[in-house]
Order: sequence, then C-alpha cells, then structure tokens
Amino acid sequence: MTELPAVSEEEFRKVCDFLYRRTGMLFTEVKRYYVQRRIAERMASLGISGFTTYFAYLRSDADGEIEKFINAFTVNETYFYREEHQLRCLSSDLLNERVRAKRPGEALRIWSVPCSTGEEPYSIALWLLENWPEVDVQDIEIVGSDIDTECVTAARHGEFGQRALMRLTPALVGKYFVASGKERWRIVEDLRQSVQFTTANLMDPAETRRHGIFDVIFCRNVLIYFDDASRRLAAENLFECLAPGGFICLGHTESMSRISPLFEVRRFADAIVYRRPQGGLHD
Amino acid sequence: MPLIRKPSPPHEPAGAPPTSLTEGTSDQRWAAVRATAGQPDGVSLLAAALAREGDPRVREAIFTGLARAATPESAAVVVPYIRSEDASLRAAALDALRAMPEASRPHIARLLADPDSDVRLLSCEIVRGLPEGEANRLLSDLLDRETEKNVAAAAVEVLAEIGRPEALAALARCAERFAGDSFLAFGIKVATDRIGGP
Repeated sequence: MTELPAVSEEEFRKVCDFLYRRTGMLFTEVKRYYVQRRIAERMASLGISGFTTYFAYLRSDADGEIEKFINAFTVNETYFYREEHQLRCLSSDLLNERVRAKRPGEALRIWSVPCSTGEEPYSIALWLLENWPEVDVQDIEIVGSDIDTECVTAARHGEFGQRALMRLTPALVGKYFVASGKERWRIVEDLRQSVQFTTANLMDPAETRRHGIFDVIFCRNVLIYFDDASRRLAAENLFECLAPGGFICLGHTESMSRISPLFEVRRFADAIVYRRPQGGLHD
Repeated sequence: MPLIRKPSPPHEPAGAPPTSLTEGTSDQRWAAVRATAGQPDGVSLLAAALAREGDPRVREAIFTGLARAATPESAAVVVPYIRSEDASLRAAALDALRAMPEASRPHIARLLADPDSDVRLLSCEIVRGLPEGEANRLLSDLLDRETEKNVAAAAVEVLAEIGRPEALAALARCAERFAGDSFLAFGIKVATDRIGGP
C-alpha cells in the first residue's frame, strides 16, 4: 500500500480549498484519510515524494494534473438498474407527461449527469426499450455527462463487469450485451450509438448550458458531495437546463427541497421527483 | 433499435442571453444575475439588484451569487434581509448566510444580540456552521442573557448537535431561569445528555 504523505493541517486545508474551488466537492477533517490516500496515489504515480512539491505541480496543472487529481476524487461505482423505482416512474409517468407537453415530432431529451462509466444512461435506454410502449414512436435523445474524462471514455466504450450487471436478468444481458472477455460484457453497438456522452462540470454554467434543454434530468448521488453554496449553484444550473414542467430525479437520500426552492415536489406511485414549475423563467 | 435518430438534431443552449440586472423579463434578469456573480464588482451590482428585485426566483439567484462570493461584504448585503417582513425573503437570506458561514462570522455576534427575537432565533442556525469552539461560546453567551424562550430553545437545539462540555454550565443556568417551561426543560435535558453531562 502507498505510504501516506506528511500533510500538515494547513496543507490539508489548502488542498481541500483547491478541490472545493475547482469542483464544489467539500472535504473536511473527518475525510482526511480519504483525501491523503488520493494524494498519495497521485504522488506515487508521478514519483513525487513531498506534498509541497506535489501541490505546486498540481497548481501549475503540469501534464493535466488537475484533471487527474479531480478524477481521483470522483466516486464512480454504480450498476445497471440502480434505483429501479425511478426508471419505473420514468416510463409510467414522467415521459407520458412530457409527451403531452411537447409539439408533435419534438424529441424527448433525457440527461444523466453525472453518468459515471455509463451504467445509468444505458440503463435508461434499456429500460425504455423494454418497458415504455411509446418508445417506437417517440424520438428520444439520451445524453450522459461526467466531469471525469476517463469515465466518459469508458462510458463510450460501454464494457462492463459482472458486478455492474448484477441487477439485469440473463435474458436482458443476452439481448443487449455481447461477451467481451472473462466476465466482461459490452453493450451492443446500436445501443452504444444511442447514447451521447460528453464532459460536463455541474458547477460551470457555461458547460451545463451548452447541453441545451432537457425533459428529464437524472442527477443522483452527487449533490451530497457539495457544500450548500455549491449545491445552490448546481441546482440553478440544472434548473436552467430543464424545460418548464421538466423533471429532475435525485438519489434517494437527497432532497432538492433542502437545496433550492426553485423546484416543486411531485409524488408519483414509484418515486418522488422534482419539477421545474410551468411558470418558469422561460415563459 | 429506436431511441435516437442519428445524427441528433441541434439544440438551443439553455438560458436566456443576459441583458440587464434590472430590466427585461425575469428570464433575462436571471441570466444577467448569473453572469454578474463572480465579477470583480459583482457584489455591489447584486446588492443593488436585490434591493429592486421582486421575482423570488431571480432573488434566489442573487442570493446564490452572494453566497458564492462568500466575503464579509457579500454577507453584509444579505444580513438586513434576515429582518424582512417577507417570510420567503427572510428564509432566502438565512439560507444564503448559512451557505457562507466563514463570511457570516463577523456579523454573527451582532445578529445574536439583535433586539428582534426572530433575528436572534434565525441566527442560531447560522452558528451551527461555525467551528464548534466558537459556536459553543456564542450560544452559551446567548443562553446566559436570553429572555425569549423560543430563542433559547433554538440555541439549545443547535447545542444538542454541536455542544461541548463547556456549554453545560450555560445550559444548566438556562434551565434554572426558565424553570417551569417543560418544552425547554426537555430540550436542555436532551442536549445535556448528548454532550455527556450530569
């Protein structure tokens, strides 16, 4: 195991401030071991022995180190059909409501952000193909975005291990995946081509805006890593990217009501979601 | 396989083009506010916009901009709104101050001594975000002089979460002063037990 670098209290604060300013992720003293472990891994991979040297290297963004450092802090573990109740809600309520609000022929746009290595946006595609009767008559655009460029590359590649597929039936795996090695499966080409992947930082309005307006946004288990001020900014960025009447789905431990008053709560049979009010800013 | 017909059609970027902080539609003002936040003179521009803005959503974006600035100056812009007669404005101000605890620090002692008991009560929530030692000192001092039981109850509630042994004496004195108030007595017992007191 990599030895932990000597990091003083002040240095720890500095690196946490740096992460906060860049990403909105807030780490405090209780997460010190976690932070130091990430720093140690980066230092080991660069062959740097002192924290001060590494921090100077990081701040100068030598060889794209900032991106690599941030990537080390993003939590990427997920699996197909995670929080399946929200997918049920998507096909039984959310999309039907959005279809009624749209002009004929207008595409439904769904955003999975952050999308990690693609499990969520591919799950959405799979779920709709299997469970939404309208899937053949509607244009649906699914976009997956993540701040972590390595995740986005992996998502585009669309190859997964057994753990990621644990919630899928063998029939679904057989239908939408092809074996690609020992206990590895790759999403079929058609489905890979059906999801667009981009990089996006939820804290940067310019980055979120360029993705356009969505009908449904899945933003699960990321806002919990942000502090209050960052959560507010992220909520506003997401609000701006939602069509009036559009929905946002958060992780089951998260509550938009505690973050921002911009959204209204909608309770459906399968899930509680948040909605941009119809009388929104685009009226 | 259906879903997307390639190539996917181009889409318009989200958000309206920013124009003026004080003119145009709420959509345009929202965009202008968000474009202003982070600029060198952003705090003073947002302060002026906040004084005029009537749309709750645009005000929310202004508060977010001020919270993101997180300076004593931006906190100073927010502080007066904690006295607003408008409950939503008061709540928005409180949320903004809670979102910038460090920047709110220079204002806290004055807020906790405010003649308006509602301001003192709300300010207990801001103290929750301060370092524990300082928060314990501020809330203990408040408990020793507080005459309004609802304010004392708010302070006790915060101490139940972040209290340290040095707050136990103030909690005990508060219990004596408000003897006979069963709600406060219960709150103080919970806080004392959690801190590990007698």
